Amino acid sequence: MATNAIDQTRRMLSLVTYLRERPGARVEDVARAFGVTPDELISDLNVLPMCGTSFRGGDLLDIDTDGEHIWWHNSEAVTGGEPLRIAADEATALLVAARAVATLPGLRESDRLALLRATAKLETAAGDSAAASARLAVTFESEGGVFADLDRAIAERRRVWLRYYSPSRDELTEREVDPIRLFVLGHTYVEAWCRLSEARRTFRLDRVAEIALLDKPADPPSIEPRDLSAGLVQPSEDDPEVVVEVGPGGRWVAEYYPHDSAEERPDGGLRIVLRSPDPASLRRLALRLGRDGRIIEPVELAHAATDAARAALAAYEEDAVH
Amino acid sequence: MAIAKAERLMNLALCLLGTGRPLTKRELRSSIEAYLEAGSEDSFNRMFERDKDDLRELGLVIETVENFEGEVGYHARRDRNRLPDVSLDAEEAAALQLAAKVWQQARLAGAASGALQKLRAAGMPDSEVGAGSYDALEPRIPAREAAFEPLMLACRDRRPVVFAYRKSNSAKAERRQVEPWILECWRGHWYLAGWDRDRRAERVFRLSRITGPVRSRVGEYTAEVPDQVRVRETAERWAGEGATTESALIQLRQGCGYPLRARATRMRELGDGWEELEIPYGHGLDAWLAEFGPDVVVLEPAELRADIIDRLRAVAKG
Repeated sequence: MATNAIDQTRRMLSLVTYLRERPGARVEDVARAFGVTPDELISDLNVLPMCGTSFRGGDLLDIDTDGEHIWWHNSEAVTGGEPLRIAADEATALLVAARAVATLPGLRESDRLALLRATAKLETAAGDSAAASARLAVTFESEGGVFADLDRAIAERRRVWLRYYSPSRDELTEREVDPIRLFVLGHTYVEAWCRLSEARRTFRLDRVAEIALLDKPADPPSIEPRDLSAGLVQPSEDDPEVVVEVGPGGRWVAEYYPHDSAEERPDGGLRIVLRSPDPASLRRLALRLGRDGRIIEPVELAHAATDAARAALAAYEEDAVH
Repeated sequence: MAIAKAERLMNLALCLLGTGRPLTKRELRSSIEAYLEAGSEDSFNRMFERDKDDLRELGLVIETVENFEGEVGYHARRDRNRLPDVSLDAEEAAALQLAAKVWQQARLAGAASGALQKLRAAGMPDSEVGAGSYDALEPRIPAREAAFEPLMLACRDRRPVVFAYRKSNSAKAERRQVEPWILECWRGHWYLAGWDRDRRAERVFRLSRITGPVRSRVGEYTAEVPDQVRVRETAERWAGEGATTESALIQLRQGCGYPLRARATRMRELGDGWEELEIPYGHGLDAWLAEFGPDVVVLEPAELRADIIDRLRAVAKG
């Protein structure tokens, strides 16, 4: 975690309170309790002996460590160090997150109740600081039943069977997967090892048409979970390039699709260059755009869209009712 | 070497919290090494003002008192800065720990762990990170939009703002003057609801469409902040998912269009590999149906049918 002066000050103020109660505390335990690495904690401990109520009078915190344990030699002599009230931003950050997590439909009831109890206590403890937390709201969405089944499968380490909808192909496929973890990033997803493709796959829960827990143990290879900090869709440099030109009404494409470049056009539109591992899946995009844009490259994709539109029109022009 | 800011802030906090009476700036300057080394009176004053603001952001209540000689003193009374008793059990602690991890935005992530640290210092039980039932669950709240942080602060402090906003279908951004009410995250995107001063009406803005910086304006809000603000309903309507009572009649090729089938209110087999479906008709249905190309034929209503034909013709031209 990046440390800036504000976060470090905040942490050191709490550390002083924490250490007062725990003479000889272990570096490792304290670091874990504060969510920092032992090295970060040591750098805090190097600052604390420079702090106190008067550097001239010598009322500085006499805190030192041998790298394993932490000792505070004058904790009686130095005042301060009572638990501090929670700031408005702190209350907002924790309360908004807690309220959001509590809305996850798949959350176990006992966990939800614990979260609601904790939220209520935190609201009381934060007092006035809690007021501004109503100005920030987050809704998580997930398909309750599917979520609960996957959560159970992960806890019991079981394989599951999925009927899964792929919008790019507009088809349902059946597969067995070993679920690894659930995460929420806008939508709710499960990261799993897919036994059909023998590869890591990410499935969006609202696209699971059917799910069944199997009586087979899950046996995913040990893999690093995907790093989601840069977002879910991270096209590779090797993926084929797709060029889309849109008018003003198609500018939303640049908002929804991660892209390499989006160049302004004189008509108020954009020329967007993006990458896709499977350009054929973008036929849907071309059809959706209608008069608001078209695919320039690859040519095969442009043709596929034109052909699809002509085939679709044929049904209307015949005025055929199937 | 300059003394690190964290050390300076920590010293100021300990002085203000430790004192039994208000301390003057002069006294604080003589007690804190970084202030002694600050150079001119001016640079010390600027530094001191900034530091006081930073500590207030961290939750410290710092009072300003004038003494008999008219000199200003500062102190952080312990009774006003103490966390009230709060007792959390291990389950509750684990729940809050999970919640604190969801922010992907630096400021809020820092604030959430700060809150946990204060609770921890006040005796909240340590729970093994990663232990328990939250193992497999990783909710994340993204906030990559540059406008997020300034708007969050503006909502918090009730400060009017000005920003350039580009509506989804227009090339040019327009200047908007807004009294921000709340920020809401839906499907991973942030929306702002507030009072649009030029349009004299409530408006919802999508943060990703704000271009350029968000600037604060001085002054009070001119419109009353409502108790209930409905951001989500507006966002859903934009996404074509709002509640609707109208319906459309379509034909769908068998084996295709699962999501259409999943929301069908009525369905019958037509033979020939086709089915007839009745589905809710709301904003955005036309664009969505067009995506299915030759696998969908729209029957009713006539306006929707005409719309689809129009869209398909545009694509068929190539």
